[in-house]
Amino acid sequence: MIAEMADPRTRPHSLWLRGILGLLIAAFQGPVYAQALSSSVEAIYRELDALPAAERAARVESGARKEARITILQTLHGELGDGQIDLFRKRYPFIAVDSSSQLSSPEAAERVYAEEVSDRHLTDAINVAIIDMPELLAHDFLARYRSPAIANVLPAFRKYADPEGRWTLSFWSDRGISYNTELVPAELAPHVWQDLCRPFFKGNVSFESMQIRFLAGLYSAFGDKIYDYFRCLGDNDPIIQGSPSERVALMLAGDHMVVGDSYLYAGIAEKRRNPSAPDGFALPGPLLASFGGVGINRNAPHPFAAALFADWMLTEEAQSYLARRLRGPVTLKHPYLPDDAQLVVTPLSLPDGVSARLIEAWKRDVEKKR
Amino acid sequence: MAFISARARFKSPDARRSWLPGVKPLVFAILLAGLCYQVLLPFAMIVWTSLKAVRPGDPGFLTLEFTFANYSRALASQSFWQSAWNTLEFAGAATSIAFVIGATTAWVVERTDMPLRRFVGLMMVARIIIPGILITASWILLASPNIGFFNQLARDVAGLRNPFNIYSFGGMVWVQSIEMAPLAFLLLSASFKSMDPRLEEAAAMAGANTTRALWRIALPLSMPAIAAAFLLIFVTTVETFEAPLLIGTRAKISVFTTEIYQATTQTPVNWGRSAAYSVTLLILSIVLLLAYSTLVRNSRRYQTISGKDFRPRRIELGRWRYAACALSLAVVATTTGAPLAVMIYASLLRTIQGNGVPFLARVSLTNYQQLIESGRVWTSLLNSTLLGVGTATFVVLLVALIAYFIHRTRLPGRKWLEFLAFAPIAIPGVVLGATFVWLYLLIPAPILGTLFIIGLAFVTKYMPFALRFVSNSLLQINPELEEAAEVAGVPFLWTFFRLILPLMKPGLVAAWFWVLVHAYRELTVALLLSRGGNRTAAVVILDLWQEGSFLKLSAFGVILFAILLTIVLLSNALQKRYGLREQY
Repeated sequence: MIAEMADPRTRPHSLWLRGILGLLIAAFQGPVYAQALSSSVEAIYRELDALPAAERAARVESGARKEARITILQTLHGELGDGQIDLFRKRYPFIAVDSSSQLSSPEAAERVYAEEVSDRHLTDAINVAIIDMPELLAHDFLARYRSPAIANVLPAFRKYADPEGRWTLSFWSDRGISYNTELVPAELAPHVWQDLCRPFFKGNVSFESMQIRFLAGLYSAFGDKIYDYFRCLGDNDPIIQGSPSERVALMLAGDHMVVGDSYLYAGIAEKRRNPSAPDGFALPGPLLASFGGVGINRNAPHPFAAALFADWMLTEEAQSYLARRLRGPVTLKHPYLPDDAQLVVTPLSLPDGVSARLIEAWKRDVEKKR
Repeated sequence: MAFISARARFKSPDARRSWLPGVKPLVFAILLAGLCYQVLLPFAMIVWTSLKAVRPGDPGFLTLEFTFANYSRALASQSFWQSAWNTLEFAGAATSIAFVIGATTAWVVERTDMPLRRFVGLMMVARIIIPGILITASWILLASPNIGFFNQLARDVAGLRNPFNIYSFGGMVWVQSIEMAPLAFLLLSASFKSMDPRLEEAAAMAGANTTRALWRIALPLSMPAIAAAFLLIFVTTVETFEAPLLIGTRAKISVFTTEIYQATTQTPVNWGRSAAYSVTLLILSIVLLLAYSTLVRNSRRYQTISGKDFRPRRIELGRWRYAACALSLAVVATTTGAPLAVMIYASLLRTIQGNGVPFLARVSLTNYQQLIESGRVWTSLLNSTLLGVGTATFVVLLVALIAYFIHRTRLPGRKWLEFLAFAPIAIPGVVLGATFVWLYLLIPAPILGTLFIIGLAFVTKYMPFALRFVSNSLLQINPELEEAAEVAGVPFLWTFFRLILPLMKPGLVAAWFWVLVHAYRELTVALLLSRGGNRTAAVVILDLWQEGSFLKLSAFGVILFAILLTIVLLSNALQKRYGLREQY
């Protein structure tokens, strides 16, 4: 830079370039710096908190009616997510819902993060796994909204809702082990996570490519012994392939024996459709559980509609829909898991450096890309 | 003539001329600015992101502080070099096999008296319309260990256990070869078709047999075209995404495109890594395409087409003609028949689990019924149709203007226009998609998550190809017509839209259909730019795969094939009407 400034021939050019870049920076980045420190969305919610319950509900609905629109990003996939949004549309026909039901939870959170950091306030609410929210929380992108509907949540689960109200609970997912009963004799069926290291399953256990949510859940269950577990899984030549649903379908067709990070509902749902489907599942002590929640964008363009959606997700209507579709409701009994199922809940965040270490170890010892 | 009536309309040509000189430069300037925005900005964005330690939108992203940390981290990691090697190895192997299949088939179809050659040619061309994601999915259903149709057949008939494994380097290469073979066929059949047979005849008169004439005359004559076609297929394979994603992941083989995709979509998102890989892939593509351009330029020195009319002599294969026919039919069955057959078969099954139940007892139309009832399938088809038609129409008009300024004006800067219109050919789909996401996070235009952003990316992606069709068409029109119109005082825009465009109709129609079909097939760009309501048919196919709905996916594939086949048949009918003979 010093050499450049010293050369008079380059100076005007450099200044010109800097001028153009400066203008570009001011044009694009100005709004980011100018972002208001306080959120008008939160101010609205604070006002709502002060109202009596009935008046508050009426105010939320009338506000949503005026807004007449909501944009939701959610991780409930395909027909499940579409069906749920259809229910919401039917309940509130005056709201036009723009919903994405195909993003994974990290993708949805990342999308909102990217929009907000670029000062593009496109999304009102997200319905994703809580473990995917840390960046949104760190940047204070989620509004504090104390939904009265949180009272509907089962007492055992209530502690997983944010005390500050930055997310309300909406569903929970289990991760266990699914296996093909035609390929795995009952006496050799896996019961605990460590069983997946048995030579019988060599080359026949599948996992998704690195998913921090799953790894964090395992870390909560195993602690530092997780790294030994990764090594023994890796020695058993696991299959690394697409989503759990994709692999459950392949597993049931006889492609391989075991889905090692299965959402158990996939196989159970298939068995209900086709009773001869060879689905078996284990509840390895402990089963990994991760909670999903609705977070409202601190700069939501439609704050009332967003609040209405967060509240509605905890209604009997929304929760029983989830239960009918074999997902974990937070206000009702689980559709297929016993009440005493041993759970370990994926933490919101991991100790410093653990996340990176987990990812590195998983890639090195389990995925072993060539 | 059209311009005579036009002149009557423009009563005062002299008065018109006083402002006319301003129109062309203005349109030219708008075009140049538009292309800079559509092409240079994405290029700059890729490079800029790769030199930043923070991601797009973060404070500091637009400051003038740069770092090579992304590159140094990438270059220091073993996975970078492994991915680079995998990419080159995969592309080299797949291109070679595709080339052998495509070249052999093209030669027997164009230069021999093989029976059924027209049918074979037609089927090879028709295969191009099947999206790559469907070809990959169908081969997984065919050759997957344990459940693949071929492996079941091998077990039932010969007692063999899993002789085929699609989830391997060989499987990945095979699927990509099958995907690329029709392109090799198209590129080479044009070359074989246009070869002057008199040289071979002279060789025959001098006593050379067919094989010797092939090796000493035909092959050397076609060598530049062959090498150029090889490079183009190689570049396309380097940029490919479907087979590496669906097959390579399980085979534990990562290539650049899957690394970029995963770095962009997995948590934590690694923008720097993604950008460093993107720039590397971009440089690789540019180098390969420069080599391709050189070869294409050199190939003109080997041209054997003159003004004289000739019809290439067909080589008589004698008794070998039936063997050639059988081999060609086997190629058609492998490239087109098998994927389509397994799609139709799977689409009719109630469940993917066999459980020893006979096929007929498992047959139903449930998958089609569920698809018809599913809103997202129709939405995606509508999206693809809107995108295809919109993009095709816009691209064709845009490249018609570009071609006009390149070939019919002497305005300074027209070479830049040509360069900018051709340059996007070097941007791989996965890079283009990621770049448009970054770009429109910064540019305050409300198009994220809409069809419009995919349309803009498609315009950049398909412009170079459409330009080829349209330029060829324009060059066949004598410029005297426009000159006469200009002398008559007809305004430029009127001349362009009412005189030049109608005359370019064959090239425009070909380009329009080409873009339409490819926009329907395209997965990578649409996937990276998709959100909720803007998912295209190809993206929904991937969704269905990831949901494990293989049977519905097959039904969707069959429906999509039927739609695309209708489009192609319509295109052929229109092209016949306008006397167009271009295939590609």
